[in-house]
Amino acid sequence: MIRRATLAMVVVVLACLPLGVGAAQAADEVVFGGAISQTGRFAEPAGRQVNAIKLWADDVNKRGGLLGRKIKLLLLDDKSDTQTAVKLYEKLITEDKVNVLLAPYSSAITEAVANVNERYKMPFVAYGAAASPIWEKGRKYIFSMVAVAEDYQKGALQLAKKTGIKKIAIIGEDSLFPRQVGVGAKQWADKLGIQVVLQENYPQKQMDFTALLQKIKASGAEAILSDSYFADAVAQLRQLRELNLNFKMFSGTVGPGLPNFAEQLGSTAEYVLGFSQWEPLPDVLKYPGMKEFIAAYRQRFGEEPNYHAGTAYGSLQVTEAAIKNAGSFDGQKLRDALASLDMMTVFGHYKVNAAGMNQHEGLTFQILKGKRRIVWPESVAENTAELPMPEWSKR
Amino acid sequence: MAHRVEAVGGEPPGTSPAATAAAPRRLGRGGMERGEVRSLYLLAAFLVCAYALPFVIGIHYRTVRADEAWLHYLATVVLSGFLQGGVYAMFAVGLTMIFGVMRIINAAHGEMVMMGAYLTWVSFFYLGVDPLLSLLFTLPIAFLFGMALQKLLLNATVGQPELTGLLVTFGLGLVMIYVAELIFTTDFRTIPYAPRTVQLTSTIAIGQNKLVSFAMAVVISVGVWLFLKLTRLGKAIRATALNAEVAMVCGINIRRIYLITTGLAAALAVAGGALVSIQFGFNPETGAVYTLQAFAIVILGGRGHYVGALIGSFMLGILESLVSLMVPNGTAMVELAAYGLLIAVLLIRPGGLMGVKEA
Amino acid sequence: MTGREHARNLAVLGLLALILIVLPHSLNVYLRSFAMFAMMYVVLALSWNIISGFTGYTSFGHVAFYGIGSYVCAILVVDHDWPWVPTLAVAAVVAGLIALTIGYPVLRLKGPYFAIAMLGMAEGTRVIVTVWDGLTHGGLGISFPSTENSMSTYYAMLVVMLVTIAVAYGVGHSRFGIRLNAIREDEGAAEALGINVTTYKLAAFALSAAFPAAAGGIQAYKVLYIDPSSVFFVQITIAMALMSMLGGKGTVVGPIVGAALLYTAQELTWVNFPTAHLIAYGLFIVLVARFMPRGLMGFAIDRGWVRKGMVH
Repeated sequence: MIRRATLAMVVVVLACLPLGVGAAQAADEVVFGGAISQTGRFAEPAGRQVNAIKLWADDVNKRGGLLGRKIKLLLLDDKSDTQTAVKLYEKLITEDKVNVLLAPYSSAITEAVANVNERYKMPFVAYGAAASPIWEKGRKYIFSMVAVAEDYQKGALQLAKKTGIKKIAIIGEDSLFPRQVGVGAKQWADKLGIQVVLQENYPQKQMDFTALLQKIKASGAEAILSDSYFADAVAQLRQLRELNLNFKMFSGTVGPGLPNFAEQLGSTAEYVLGFSQWEPLPDVLKYPGMKEFIAAYRQRFGEEPNYHAGTAYGSLQVTEAAIKNAGSFDGQKLRDALASLDMMTVFGHYKVNAAGMNQHEGLTFQILKGKRRIVWPESVAENTAELPMPEWSKR
Repeated sequence: MAHRVEAVGGEPPGTSPAATAAAPRRLGRGGMERGEVRSLYLLAAFLVCAYALPFVIGIHYRTVRADEAWLHYLATVVLSGFLQGGVYAMFAVGLTMIFGVMRIINAAHGEMVMMGAYLTWVSFFYLGVDPLLSLLFTLPIAFLFGMALQKLLLNATVGQPELTGLLVTFGLGLVMIYVAELIFTTDFRTIPYAPRTVQLTSTIAIGQNKLVSFAMAVVISVGVWLFLKLTRLGKAIRATALNAEVAMVCGINIRRIYLITTGLAAALAVAGGALVSIQFGFNPETGAVYTLQAFAIVILGGRGHYVGALIGSFMLGILESLVSLMVPNGTAMVELAAYGLLIAVLLIRPGGLMGVKEA
Repeated sequence: MTGREHARNLAVLGLLALILIVLPHSLNVYLRSFAMFAMMYVVLALSWNIISGFTGYTSFGHVAFYGIGSYVCAILVVDHDWPWVPTLAVAAVVAGLIALTIGYPVLRLKGPYFAIAMLGMAEGTRVIVTVWDGLTHGGLGISFPSTENSMSTYYAMLVVMLVTIAVAYGVGHSRFGIRLNAIREDEGAAEALGINVTTYKLAAFALSAAFPAAAGGIQAYKVLYIDPSSVFFVQITIAMALMSMLGGKGTVVGPIVGAALLYTAQELTWVNFPTAHLIAYGLFIVLVARFMPRGLMGFAIDRGWVRKGMVH
């Protein structure tokens, strides 16, 4: 009897065949579509970008929409998987026929998706990608917003030099962004005369770093540059404390910039360095509209916007201005507008070079008393960096 | 066919008609055939090579140093691997029991571990219960879950070709992953429990949570071992693993044994999950890796052999640590330790260390 | 099977081919791509069926060959500037050779041990590909230069699928196939009858590896990006097994029907119910494996719609 039921289920599922039609689109709407990681290891940072996207869309709609049309968002989940993202973008473009594309999160996914949107001539500002190789392939339909991956550890290395650190270890997840951070970090280390005694990549989703951390200690490194996302950075710090391994400096990339980082780690997160493309400090950075954006974000989402949110919002401001300049949603016209635009956003200055890259400088911060404090560059530093980190037993 | 004497718990089987019908073969030690002894030696030789290999590679690539400080690192890493082995034991013994008693490959075993981690997490954050104390109620819940699983799904799968069991359990695993994702999202979680460090010697430090986990794992493993060895029910389980038909003839209620075995295996997996939750971050997808490691251990130790699974767990834990420390790009190569062991054991001696040659 | 029945089957296949040849011109890119993937799964399911359905050796790591094929194609096209079509042949040959090499020791294992060994092999291959980044770019994956290829990949996959169907049909209705079935039913007896069991198993295994490799190559070229975790994804093996089982293991029509139905259902559920889709998929696997292990063809045989005892 259950056999029949199973058979029936098979038949029913097949009967849903006609349901496979895309959503209908109202004439006075414009659809912005993209695939952003809502699950998987990119969900934490990408989630902040989704928040900003929603905030922006509502802001624009409140002001009467874009070119007289209301914005409708179509956000799909690529599960932090590259092949899924590629297939989703193909679907969004050819089946759902969205008007304007939204970028995905992470350099790796953006790199693969860039092939798709380039082919269909639909541009976007890549708020989720920082690795320069993406812009070294002669593409015309992708524009950057943030400081490049290769510069993420620049500030930390400068601070290391100042602290007198001579040997460092660079570790990172084995994917595009962390690798590029590592490449850049090595270059900066060489320039500054710091020796890289160990450089190793670990598999994605790796959680147990016991042996790796021991290996780092054994190599004689005095500081660790961890080119990581969120969960791995958290695990590394926790395990450093458990193993009672002391280093003079620990510099992460994406992880420390996320609000949950300091929350989950408590005192273990103290003195950790991180890189931020942007901080919600209107009095320090003084970009136009920052105060309003931060207040609106805080009210809607119950937390301060971090740099992922700021980047996405700024990128969409750019897109909005470009659409207005072009007077249409046409891919080619939008592309030309994005290429020639020069404006200030809540995130900072936007003006791209011939390859489509923006020249944005990031900030290095240190977590002090549970808060992120900018410590580099000196021109905007709130605090001086407290390095070397005190030993675990002395905290 | 002559059966090897050592089995689950280490007692001789009852008179098995199959055994007495065997034609006289050349016997080596302990009643084993020559071929079996040979394959056992071959396996042992392979294992020695497997452990030596990281050292050899390390010396070649200069990650190994001969000074005292490095030896302390080695000691810490080996200790850590050993403690990790205790946690692996929780996953592996359950799987070996299911495989041994019912010949079913439980592809959802890692997900049961993951379920244990989440159950513990929920009791910690929502009920305020200490993770180890929560075992008092998570284990019975797991046991009931296992029994339900057996009754509803696996009973029909026993005796079917292996693909059926694999697919059924795999499907179940998928459902478990995605239900967990719905409830808990894919964010990594962990329980900040006993985070302090314990300084064992002047240079070797270990997280307190690792020691606590290990102690708990030892208590549970020994407890279950005693159960299997001394109680009637335990012996009945072992008998069923050895030969289900004969067990039935001896008056053992096979169906009941199956229920209890799966219940026990689920409880052990959940215990493993609890121990994992206080050490590492976990999310719904982390179970898959545990399943494969558990397979490797079960094969190494021998299908259905409890002590074999225990030994295999420690062996895998230590081997992984050695690879991670000494092989360049070691962190990525660690998984190869499990797969390499798995395949090599299957090719040299599928029965594993404690099983018969052909299993 | 009589000559007339063979002719009828050939006619049906020809008709199907004709429809599929004309179809893509009236579809948009997304649907074309959907059709291509459906055909790909037909290829995968049929190939898996050769070693697991006909011969009875349940391979739980068959995705390894798919992944190897993807990487061979990607490395040759991106790093060595090969045109992509010849790389498919190379991929098939490489996969076949690898199958022969590992098959020799691994096919000695029985039932569940073979399945686990293959699973270990697939995962091991994934790790090796990830670590050997001089050759494979490791975790970065390989990114092809962007081109418009939805038509060419569709037709390539169509060709591969037709070839696979022809081969599977040929195997199923030949002495070779009967001997494989004999091995499945009772290997010891087959050997006693004088069948060189090792040769036949190896041949079946190599055949079953070649087509997934070619399919993997086409897929890599279509998506224009591969990385180790997507092309060595264990759920692909599950899909192969499930589709064969759903349709009817050990037949020819079974995997074709199973693959087409399941892939379509999956894609539709995913499009309309992205979160529930995965739970539904898991449940579906459990139910089919538990209640319909002989699949739709088994059901049809029971009902007498299809004659029993034949490999259809």
